Amino acid sequence: MVTQVAPLQMAALPGWTALAPVLALAVTALVLLLVDSIDPDTTDTSLLAGISVVGSLVSLALAVWFVVGGTGIPTGQGGQGTPVLFNGQLVVDQLALFFMVIVGSVTALVTLASYDYVREHSYQAEYYSLVLLAATGMSLLSATNSLASAFVALELVSLPSYALVAFLKKNKGSVEAALKYFLIGAVSSAVFAYGISLVYAATGVLRFDAVATAIESGVLQTVVDGSVQAQAGEPAVTMSILGVGILMVIGGVAFKTAAVPFHFWAPEAYEGAPAPISGFLSSASKAAGFVLAFRVFATAFPIQALIADGGALNWVVAFQILAIATMFIGNFAAATQETVKRMLAYSSVGHAGYVLIGLAALSSSGEGLAFSLSAGMAHLLVYGFMNTGAFLFIALAEYWGVGRRFEDYNGLGREAPLACAAMTIFLFSLAGLPIGGGFFSKFYLFSATMNVGAWSLAAALVINSALSLFYYSRVVKAMWIEEPDGEDRVESYPTGLYTAVVAAAVATVLLVPGFDYVSSVAFRAATLL
Amino acid sequence: MIPVESYLLLSAAVFCIGLFGILTRKNALIFLMSVELMLNAANINFVAFSLQHGNLTGQVFTLFTMALAAAEVAVGIGIVLVLYRNFSDVDVTIPTTMRW
Repeated sequence: MVTQVAPLQMAALPGWTALAPVLALAVTALVLLLVDSIDPDTTDTSLLAGISVVGSLVSLALAVWFVVGGTGIPTGQGGQGTPVLFNGQLVVDQLALFFMVIVGSVTALVTLASYDYVREHSYQAEYYSLVLLAATGMSLLSATNSLASAFVALELVSLPSYALVAFLKKNKGSVEAALKYFLIGAVSSAVFAYGISLVYAATGVLRFDAVATAIESGVLQTVVDGSVQAQAGEPAVTMSILGVGILMVIGGVAFKTAAVPFHFWAPEAYEGAPAPISGFLSSASKAAGFVLAFRVFATAFPIQALIADGGALNWVVAFQILAIATMFIGNFAAATQETVKRMLAYSSVGHAGYVLIGLAALSSSGEGLAFSLSAGMAHLLVYGFMNTGAFLFIALAEYWGVGRRFEDYNGLGREAPLACAAMTIFLFSLAGLPIGGGFFSKFYLFSATMNVGAWSLAAALVINSALSLFYYSRVVKAMWIEEPDGEDRVESYPTGLYTAVVAAAVATVLLVPGFDYVSSVAFRAATLL
Repeated sequence: MIPVESYLLLSAAVFCIGLFGILTRKNALIFLMSVELMLNAANINFVAFSLQHGNLTGQVFTLFTMALAAAEVAVGIGIVLVLYRNFSDVDVTIPTTMRW
């Protein structure tokens, strides 16, 4: 529950400085546009990529500093207090900072890799500033504390993403991907907006804590001078309208996280988009969608009150169905693919299903809630490195002109052993082998299901992880065991892409010993929610 | 005063018309118009319930929605333009190079 605490005890700093990780990204995007307006024809990739990488690393460093420094932890527990900004529209707590760390790391990796990938293209400054603007939206989304700011931040993520997917505008695949992404995105944001309007109709407020008060007390609320109070005459909350509204909000969240039933855009968008953008969307954008889901459902729609009042909507059951459906559809579709990039795209849908366990395995508030939510958060952090890394390897393969199918990767391990070793780490970690952090995060999710006795979720998790090992191994087998069937394809070793791939691999491996710390930070963040 | 339930019915009708347009039309531009209808259905709700609840939250949200809808259409028209250049048509059922 959000409480009004004095912003940042470092007395001299005004409250808005708590948003520094977001502001760093926004300023970087504007600086890139400034560079572009001073020299519109610039082809100085080093300058543009350098600004972007430095900007996202600054954002990452600030977020890590705030997490370690105790921003978002109540002063009574040795922290710096939770800054609440703009009348409760934004809140910078540990949950927000945790996801700002994910967004900062993924953005740094993606912009670094783009140095080689977009060097031959025009409009590079626009490319980098769109990436940074989308990242700003993702960081902002993790700090939203109201359905209004959530909608604005969600659109700030979506609009640059549509443009980025269409970046290769003479490539039919890229355009088709952008079209499908845009069409489904526009519909689901309209559904999300309508859902918000119904929640507003039923409760009279948009701020998460105020919505929760309305649902728990059963009385329409209003916000006066930043404090929540019951409306005059105490009119009752209409539970049926609220239920439809919550269902539509789930729809909006499902689109952003590429979960069933709004997952149809994901394989197309990830396959057609430039590979660094695929990695960006499938890691950072998915994480942003999930932080919204975690915050909305954990704080605004208290499940006990919703069930107790004769049932507006039992969203835990809805998420259980979605999680199981998403896991099976994503993984079974991935197993039947012929191209590596599309296989990774469907596996990304499958991973959305794993993270949904975080919401589907909620049984009660307090300890149990924090446990399952933090399992989802930890998986998203590990996934941010291993999945981005895997897509950046695809970018490397596209850079070399290696084909798209599994067979085209035959013998690549002999030509580029370092990159292929990194890819092997990513794939095995994605499958859940203890070579990377993926094993521990899946095990954590598994314990969360065991904790509440959700056997169907646990079974779906295990079956799908086993299945995923099959299709991830196909790539590993092609790279290391199969004989190459042609001449050398690897002519150069691009610095930016290589650095990004290796850095992601190192982070994935380091998360094996570091997972204990990550999960404890995630657990603390979820407890304080 | 018109009861607030009437506005709810009106907005639901507008929303469903928009959804019907999206599901049945092939032209990308008509698709954009249908999305506008769905967003405006939300706006009707916001404005009607803003009056009902006696606070301005809903009206302010409507301003946000209108601005964002305009931005969304701007990006959308851009995508429709590159669609036309690549496929010589704005029919959303033509681009089918990727299928599972």
